[in-house]
Amino acid sequence: MNGPDLRSRPIIEVKDVRKEYPIGDETVVALKRINLSVSRGEICCIFGTSGSGKSTLLNQLAGMEKPTRGEVRIGGVPISRLNEHHLAAFRHQHLGFVFQSYNLLPNLTATENVALPLMFRGVPKAQREAAARKLLTRVGLAHRLDHFPRQMSGGQQQRAGIARAFIARPDVVFADEPTGNLDSKTTVEIMDMICSFARDYHQTIILVTHDPEMAAYASRIVKLIDGEIVSNQVNQKERFPHEA
Amino acid sequence: MKQKDMLRICLQNLMRRKSRTFLTVLGVLIGCCSIVIMVSLGIGMKEAQDRTLAEMGDLTIITVSAPQGGRGKVKLDDGLLRRLRALPGVAALTPKLTLDVDSIRLLTGSGNRYVADWTTVVGVDTAALDQMGYRLTDGALPKREGEVLVGQYLAYSFKDTLRPEGRNMIDRWSGEFDETGKPVDPPPPYLDPLKKPLTLEIETQSGKITLPFTPVGAVKEDYSKGSETSEGILVNMPDLLKLMEKTQGRKGKKPVYDSVMVKVKSIEQVEPVEREIKAMGYPTESMESIRKPMEKEARQKQMMLGGLGAISLFVAALGITNTMIMSISERTREIGIMKSLGCYVTDIRVMFLSEAGAIGLIGGLIGCVISLIASITINLVSLGPSVDNLLPAIVGGETVTRVSVIPPWLLLFAIFFSILIGLGSGYYPANKAVRIPALEAIKSE
Repeated sequence: MNGPDLRSRPIIEVKDVRKEYPIGDETVVALKRINLSVSRGEICCIFGTSGSGKSTLLNQLAGMEKPTRGEVRIGGVPISRLNEHHLAAFRHQHLGFVFQSYNLLPNLTATENVALPLMFRGVPKAQREAAARKLLTRVGLAHRLDHFPRQMSGGQQQRAGIARAFIARPDVVFADEPTGNLDSKTTVEIMDMICSFARDYHQTIILVTHDPEMAAYASRIVKLIDGEIVSNQVNQKERFPHEA
Repeated sequence: MKQKDMLRICLQNLMRRKSRTFLTVLGVLIGCCSIVIMVSLGIGMKEAQDRTLAEMGDLTIITVSAPQGGRGKVKLDDGLLRRLRALPGVAALTPKLTLDVDSIRLLTGSGNRYVADWTTVVGVDTAALDQMGYRLTDGALPKREGEVLVGQYLAYSFKDTLRPEGRNMIDRWSGEFDETGKPVDPPPPYLDPLKKPLTLEIETQSGKITLPFTPVGAVKEDYSKGSETSEGILVNMPDLLKLMEKTQGRKGKKPVYDSVMVKVKSIEQVEPVEREIKAMGYPTESMESIRKPMEKEARQKQMMLGGLGAISLFVAALGITNTMIMSISERTREIGIMKSLGCYVTDIRVMFLSEAGAIGLIGGLIGCVISLIASITINLVSLGPSVDNLLPAIVGGETVTRVSVIPPWLLLFAIFFSILIGLGSGYYPANKAVRIPALEAIKSE
């Protein structure tokens, strides 16, 4: 396996991806035939209503599921064909995740949670937790370092989630409705934070949402209806993050 | 993931559900205890048995005798000694020959004041006695011609000719006896035979033969080796053969022995060596015929006891599996999150296996400690609860028969087995955990 080629070609390439789910005796086609490429540094929004197949597409992109047909490459690596072990390695080396329901591990402190991807990489405890504390301070959680998720508000948990997604300096961060559970004020904070991180390190963000407000943050908007891409355009009115 | 991190996560997860971990550990602990205690009782039983057997005689000695009504060929002669020595597993041997005469007297002391009217004179290979398991209570083994060993209580055979008849002997059996029937503090004899030269007086048809001997050592009484160790005299075989030539006038004849005692290197080799000797056509005798069935029975009992103990450990294994399955279904989402963040599948498997193994290890360790305490308690109760008995109850001793004996290998085995049970019962849940897809992380609650 060659290392991912991150410079010359699009960071994400989706070729003829089709995804079917068997439900009972019937087969439901969630993605019909998706072709998509995302360049490095883009904030790409996959926009669609529920049932449009946007979450399924995210799963294919992030290697959570294997497509029924077609291929997904990230940095040139065909992740849809990697085995579980290589996929795990690829995840902690090149991918970050921000989840709708934060998904912090309940028995770990904020610092430990943020340091988790580095732990999977085998970084020693002192080193990774120092990095985690630094990042938590940047997202404004300096006073919550040793708190457990249940002791934090939703917004705080999501900020820790963002810190966790970015700690390993991934090439691509997947954000699945990252503000779905948050109020509008916090939503703005969180989105600003994600975008500023991405711009600082020239990282690629795949943002999945059904909220047009959120789509405004993206540099490219991919609209999905019934498992098909109906539009794919650069966002002229891109909203730049508020200066923190 | 680093091993240190793995260990930390494992302990963290065990500490999360303290009462559940505690109960599961308790199950393993009880199982481990029951195995250790049961087996220790079995070992205690076997030890007591071995001790009884050892009191009856040396377990590694085979006595070879001449075939009944044997014709000329199968004789106990030097040729046989050579063949026996060549057998694998034979450590030492000695021929035995008893001086066969009508009348024999022992004289000692100034002016032959002390006289013994009867004794047994037995020829042995004195150089082999140490290896054969003969013990000296005094003096040393004979090295020169004319030097002999006396039985431990030979002194009591002498009467003092200067005292009136009827009150001129000391009765070793006149005092009190202990529970095994041995005299306690017998009165001291008139003399110490090692201090003075000894004269042997033999009546034969051709007249009286007198021979001087120098006693150089006294052997410990051991009836399994012959009564001469109590009140007889052991002489070196060449000396006896010379003596026989004088008494019986059989000059130049090849010696034929009464019996041969063969010492085998280890208990395991007694049976094969005995079989070989029997195959040569000689009747043999050893403790093996008694020991074998007893050992078999003891082993059966031990297996039974251990099996009973093992059942409870297997029940504990079910407990571990149950606990692990519970915790996996609780942590399904967590496992999904870890996978989506890039945790290796093998790490997840190791994580769950180490949790199950740790439950086994902790249960095994505590179980061993409790078993030791229980074992000591059992021994104390059986020996009589007093501070003096505390040490014997723990370490045992030459004269102490413990009910429950826990050798170190048993503890090691118990801990190892507990870990194994833990790992074994964690195997299925760990595989279950591994199969949880990363997608679980995205599912909304």
